[in-house]
Amino acid sequence: MLSRVAESLFWMSRYFERAENTARFLDVNFNLLLDLNKITHVENPNYWIALILVTSDKERFNSLYESYSARTVTDYLVFNKNNPNSIISCISLARENARSIIESISSEMWEQVNNLYHYLQSVTPQSVQNDPYSFYKEIKNASHLFQGITDNTFSHNEGWDFIQIAKYLERTDNIARLIDVKYHMLLSEAESQTEIVAGSEDIIQWMAVLKSCSALEAFRKVYLSKIDPDNILRFLILDRTFPRSINFSVCAAEDALWRISGSSRHRYVNNADRLIGKLEAELSYTAIEDIYAKGLHHYLEDLEQRLVKVGEQVHLTYFAYHTPEIEPLDIEEALPFTGVAGGRAYWSQAQQHQQQQ
Amino acid sequence: MSRFFERYEPETRQFFDEVIATEGSPRPHYDKMLQRFAQFSIDDIKARREIVNIFFRNQGITFTVYGEDEGVERLFPFDLIPRVVPAHEWETIEKGLIQRITALNEFLNDIYHGQKILKDKIIPAELILGSLHFRREFVGINPPLGIYIHVTGSDIIRDRHGHYLVLEDNLRTPSGVSYMLQNRQAMKRAFPVLFDKYKIRPIENYPQELLRTLQEISPVSRREPNVVVLTPGIYNSAYFEHSFLARQMGIELTEGKDLVVNNNKVYTRTTRGLEQVDVIYRRVDDAYLDPLVFRPDSKLGVAGLVNAYRKGNVTLANAIGCGVADDKVIYSFVPKIIKYYLGEDPILENVPTWLASNPDDLKYILANLDSLVVKAANESGGYGMLIGPESTIEEQEKFAEMIVANPRNYIAQPTISLSRHPSFFNDTELWGCHIDLRPYVLYGKNVTIVPGGLTRVALKRGSLVVNSSQGGGSKDTWVVDE
Repeated sequence: MLSRVAESLFWMSRYFERAENTARFLDVNFNLLLDLNKITHVENPNYWIALILVTSDKERFNSLYESYSARTVTDYLVFNKNNPNSIISCISLARENARSIIESISSEMWEQVNNLYHYLQSVTPQSVQNDPYSFYKEIKNASHLFQGITDNTFSHNEGWDFIQIAKYLERTDNIARLIDVKYHMLLSEAESQTEIVAGSEDIIQWMAVLKSCSALEAFRKVYLSKIDPDNILRFLILDRTFPRSINFSVCAAEDALWRISGSSRHRYVNNADRLIGKLEAELSYTAIEDIYAKGLHHYLEDLEQRLVKVGEQVHLTYFAYHTPEIEPLDIEEALPFTGVAGGRAYWSQAQQHQQQQ
Repeated sequence: MSRFFERYEPETRQFFDEVIATEGSPRPHYDKMLQRFAQFSIDDIKARREIVNIFFRNQGITFTVYGEDEGVERLFPFDLIPRVVPAHEWETIEKGLIQRITALNEFLNDIYHGQKILKDKIIPAELILGSLHFRREFVGINPPLGIYIHVTGSDIIRDRHGHYLVLEDNLRTPSGVSYMLQNRQAMKRAFPVLFDKYKIRPIENYPQELLRTLQEISPVSRREPNVVVLTPGIYNSAYFEHSFLARQMGIELTEGKDLVVNNNKVYTRTTRGLEQVDVIYRRVDDAYLDPLVFRPDSKLGVAGLVNAYRKGNVTLANAIGCGVADDKVIYSFVPKIIKYYLGEDPILENVPTWLASNPDDLKYILANLDSLVVKAANESGGYGMLIGPESTIEEQEKFAEMIVANPRNYIAQPTISLSRHPSFFNDTELWGCHIDLRPYVLYGKNVTIVPGGLTRVALKRGSLVVNSSQGGGSKDTWVVDE
C-alpha cells in the first residue's frame, strides 16, 4: 500500500479516537460535578482545569481565555479551531485525511466521517450547554459507528492494521493522561500526603475516571463493589481483556504492528515492533506494587514517552517517504537510521534487485 | 403536458430547443418524459431534489472554485431533467468522433515523426513549431501502439438548426466523466419509474473500459501492468474525479510525492518498499510533470519521469505534447487534417473560425468584435474569452489591443446560439438553458465511446458559458434506442 495512504489511514483513525476521548472527558466531568453538587458547583474551576491538563495545553488555553469554567473549557475543547485537539479540529483533520484517500477507504467510512463533520458544523455552543449528555453521546456513538463500519466494510489487511495501531496508541496515551491528571488532583486536594487517599468524594471521582473509560460496569464484574484506587489502577492499567485498558490497547497495537511486518514473539523485524513488544512484555509482568515503587506519575510519564517513540518508529518504518535518507541512492546512510535489518529501506533495495534481474 | 411544461417558453423562433420542436409540440423522444413529469407536483420535484442532493453530498461530489474565499468545496449544480439523445443521432456523433480522433492521432504521430503534413504545406509549419504545446524533445519518440490521445472529451454543440458541431477537442486532461457516471446514479435513485420507460444505453462500464485502455498501452507484456492515476492533489478542482476513477478501476491514486524514479524506471513508494509502475493515467499538465524538464518549481511532478518515459519504461496517458493538436488555431485545420490522413470528409463539422494570424481574417475580426466570440488559443475552462454581444466597448478595445499584439494567440468564431434545454429554476419553473455535450472517447487498441457523455448546462439565465468554473451545471444524458 502507498506510504501516503497508510499514513492518512493512521491519522484519520487517530484523530477520530482523539475526538472520542475528548468527548468522554467532558461528558464525565459534567456528570461528576452533578454528583458532587453537595460540596461544589458546576463552575468550580478546579474541576475544569484538569481537562486542560489532560491535553497538556495550558499555555494555549491561557492565551485564549481568562478563566477555567464549564463554558470556556467546553468551548476550547469542542469548538475552538485554534486548538488542534478540539473535537471540531480533530474531526476536520480526520475528514481531511479521509478525503485524501477517499478511493482507498469504503464509501460507508467516508460517509460516516463526512456526516459527523457536517453534524458538528450545525451544532452551537448553546445547544451543547443545554444538553451536554446528548451531544457527547452523539460523538461517542459516531466514533463507535465509524469503528464498526470500518470493521465490517473494509478489508482486514494492512490498511486496517494501520487504523488499529493508530486507534490503540491514541487510546493508551489518553488513558495514561487521564489517570495521571486525576491522581494529581486527588493528591493535591488530599490533606495527608500518604499514597492515594480514598475518602467518599474521592471514590466518586475515581468512579468518574472509570466511567469516562466506559469501565465502571466491567470493573464491578471483576472487583464487585470494592472501589478502591488500587483496584481501579490495576484494572485501567493492567487488565488484559477490557478494551479501554492500557494493557489491552498495547496488546492490540502490537498485534496490528506484527501482522504488518510478520514479526512474532522473540523475533522482531523493525524498531516499532521491538519497542511495542518490549512495552507489552513489561506490562504483562508488572504488578501494581511495581508501579507504586516507581511512582505512578513517573510511571505514566515514562509510558507516554515510550508511546511517542513507537509512533516515531512507525513513521520512519512505513510513512517517511519524503525523508532523503531512505531514497534508494542513499541506501548506505539509511540503514543505521532505520535500525535493524528488515527495515523499510532494506526492503526497497531488495525489491529493486529483484526487479532488475 | 405537465404543469411545468405548460408554462415553459421554448422560444423556438430564436433557439433550437431540444425538447419542444415548435411551440407546443414536443419531439417524439421526449413524449414519455413529459407524460411522467405531468404527474409531478412541485413537492414531488423538491423531494427528488433532496434525494439527489443527499446522494451528491454523501458521495463528497464537490468541486473547487478558484478565487473565492468562502469554503473551497461546493456541490456541483445538477439539473433534474435529463437530456435524451435518440440512437440515430448518437450514431452520427459516434462515427464523427471516431473519425476525428483517429485523424488527430495520425496528425500527432506525424508531427512527432516525419512532419509530412507540414512538408505538404497543408498547415503552415510556423503554426505548429511555434505552438506553446509543441514539445520538440519528443520528436521521434514512439508511444506504445502509436497512440497519443488515449482519453479525450470533445465538446459538441448544436446550432440554430440542430446540427451537431465540434467546438473543441480536449486532448490533454479532459474532466467531468465522474459527473457523467454519478449523474446517472443519482437519476436512478430519484426517477426509477421514468428510467424504466426508456431503453437507456448503459454507461456504467466506463471505468472498466478506461482501465482496459490503460492496460493495453502498457510497455510491458510479461506481467499484469501496474497502472496508477496521478493527481495534482487534494486541492485540485477535479480531485474528486481522480479519486473516484482510481477507486472505480481499483488502482492506486498517486501524487507526485508517491512516485520516485530510479534508473529510468518509475516506482511507487509503499509500506513494503518500491513497486514499479508501467502506466500513468496522469491528470497533471505537461508543464508540471517533471521539474527537471518542465517547470523547475513544480512540486506536483516527479523528477526523472520524462526520461523514464523517453526510455519507454512507462507510458503516460495522454502522451506528452498532445496540446499541439488541441490548440484553438490548429482546431480550424481539423477538417483538412481528416481529409489529409483519412481521405474522408468530416462527419461532424467545425464551428467556422477566423485566425487572427491570417491578415484578412484579422481585419474581419477587429471590425466585428461586437458580434464574434474571441478566444485565446491556449486557454481552457472559459477563461480568456470575449463574448462580443455581451461585452462592453472597453472590453472590446482591450481585446483588440491584445489580438494585435499577439495575433497567433487568438481566434474568433461567430456567436453560436447553443441549443437550449428546459431546466429547473428553484425547482418550481422551467427555463430554457443553453447546453453542450462532452462525450468521452477512449483510444487503446480500438476507439470506444460510452454512449452519451456529460451534458453541461449554463444555469445562469441567458448565459452561454457552461464551464463548471463559471457557474455551469450538468444533466444526465440518455442515449435511447427507439
